[in-house]
Amino acid sequence: MATALRASGLTKDFARLRAVDGLELEVPEGEVFGFLGPNGAGKTTTLRLLCALISPSAGTAEVAGFRLGRDDSRIRAAVGILTEQPGLYERLTALENLLFFATLYGLTPGTARGQAERYLRLMGLWDRRGDAVATFSRGMKQKMAIARAVLHEPRLVFLDEPTTGLDPDAARTVRDFIVALRGEGRTVFLCTHNLDEADRLCDRIAFFRRRVIRLDTPANLRAELYGRATVFDILPEPRPEDLARVARVEGVREVFRENGALVVESDDPLVTNPRVVRVLVDGGAEVTYVTDRRPHLEDVYLRIVEPETAPRSTTEARSTTEARSAPEARSAPEARG
Amino acid sequence: MSAPATLARSPERGAIVRAICVREWREAAGNKLLVGMTFLPPVVILAVGILLVAVAARNPPSVKDVQAIYAAAPATAGLDPVEAVQGLIATYFLILFMMIPTVVPLTIAIYSVIGEKGAHTLEPLLATPTGVGQLLLAKSLASTIPAVLVTWLAYAIYLASVLALGSRAAAKAVTAPGWLLAMVVMVPLLTLLSVNLGIFISTRVNDVRVAQQIGGLIVVPVLGLGIAQISGRVVLNGEAFAQTALLLLVADIVVFVAARIAFQRENILVRWR
Repeated sequence: MATALRASGLTKDFARLRAVDGLELEVPEGEVFGFLGPNGAGKTTTLRLLCALISPSAGTAEVAGFRLGRDDSRIRAAVGILTEQPGLYERLTALENLLFFATLYGLTPGTARGQAERYLRLMGLWDRRGDAVATFSRGMKQKMAIARAVLHEPRLVFLDEPTTGLDPDAARTVRDFIVALRGEGRTVFLCTHNLDEADRLCDRIAFFRRRVIRLDTPANLRAELYGRATVFDILPEPRPEDLARVARVEGVREVFRENGALVVESDDPLVTNPRVVRVLVDGGAEVTYVTDRRPHLEDVYLRIVEPETAPRSTTEARSTTEARSAPEARSAPEARG
Repeated sequence: MSAPATLARSPERGAIVRAICVREWREAAGNKLLVGMTFLPPVVILAVGILLVAVAARNPPSVKDVQAIYAAAPATAGLDPVEAVQGLIATYFLILFMMIPTVVPLTIAIYSVIGEKGAHTLEPLLATPTGVGQLLLAKSLASTIPAVLVTWLAYAIYLASVLALGSRAAAKAVTAPGWLLAMVVMVPLLTLLSVNLGIFISTRVNDVRVAQQIGGLIVVPVLGLGIAQISGRVVLNGEAFAQTALLLLVADIVVFVAARIAFQRENILVRWR
């Protein structure tokens, strides 16, 4: 598969601040790529670099087949960007806004009209095409801005917080639209704080803080950090001796209490779980439920990007031996991208 | 699946400039404050100018007034007092007409840039293949064209009114080749200077009023030159006119280059606040 985006050692300095530090990244065409990081991590700067809006201090990048710094105008023609703010001309109508930008992208008047109609209809705004944008709600403006970003059919679309401030219905329209873009073979570079959204939409996710800290599929990130975990609801509540007993079971990597239940991590739950149930029952506990534990991407994010603020209830209540707590050792930031 | 090809093409320069100008004018037309600030100065100058010429035509000046006029404007010495008064008034208001291309476009240009800053519309604009030079040129023209047209329209109305109401001296003053040439050559040059100064100032400040106060200083030399000419201290003959026009042209280029330097994609996105 062709590469939509490749960055090598991409760096951006502002005076004494290094906003982006040697970004290494490769995104294949047709992928929804999640770009996650805390505020001030340099995500917007990275977006601006990759859209040829600002020039790098060092490093190279190839975007949509064009070389950054050499083909900047062609990069801007080949990509679409949804900026943090919708940035629409409020006194112009929805249609006038789109036709104006279509002209700047070099679309012929006929094509511009057709594209504007297509995306206004897709976003459910066709009936409001003659209204000034100033009369639109936040969600409608955001949908307008997304329509503007894809009006010229870019191969690569950069979306900065596309669903921020939207009601659930509008957010769903936007998410469906992102899925449709992928269906057309377009690449979507999604900057978001919405981890649930990233989890649902993204093929791969990069955790970013000035550089890529970790990059993988959401499933792999979860599995790598938390292993395969199972929740055992037992009566009475888990006692220290239950934890100690389960920790000794062959195949158990880690066991800890969470929300009044036992969480057991193992490499092969199909083999390990029956053993755990037997040990618990033999110890006098009643096992009421056994369920697969699917950690939220938020947990993964916090452990990788902001380990100091990760929920302490999960990490502090652990009762296994140090030798078995391998995930902690793996959570140290390391660049892989 | 391979991504479909983009529809974007290298936009034609003329189409971009036209689109930006039309967009700016539509936006400006919806801004009542801006419309008011664009038309108020020419309307006031025009109304007062015509009124004073008409009043002077009906009310002969006193001896004291005439002496004061001769002292203030030696060029009028020897003329019939009524003629002298009307001629002086007509000329004086022509100087005020030269203020229109400094005040009006300054306001439009300031709103054009500061308005876009406030509305966060510059980033999507800069994300298109449009060059910043084209953008600056289009913005300059979008402010220059209406200001020049408003000035010329006001001058045409003033000219017609003075010819209809005023004396021969007043008619002679407003149709003097120097002033006609000033309208044709100086007005566009002054407008361009004012526009690019407005754009340059707007890159540095976020408040329209502050930008207007700073930019308003451009009126001082224009007014000074006009008063010096009326009072006979400066005579705008052919040579002086050519020198002034050349000076304005150089100032236009210098200010445009300064605005172009300030109007860099990265500066706009990163440094402008």
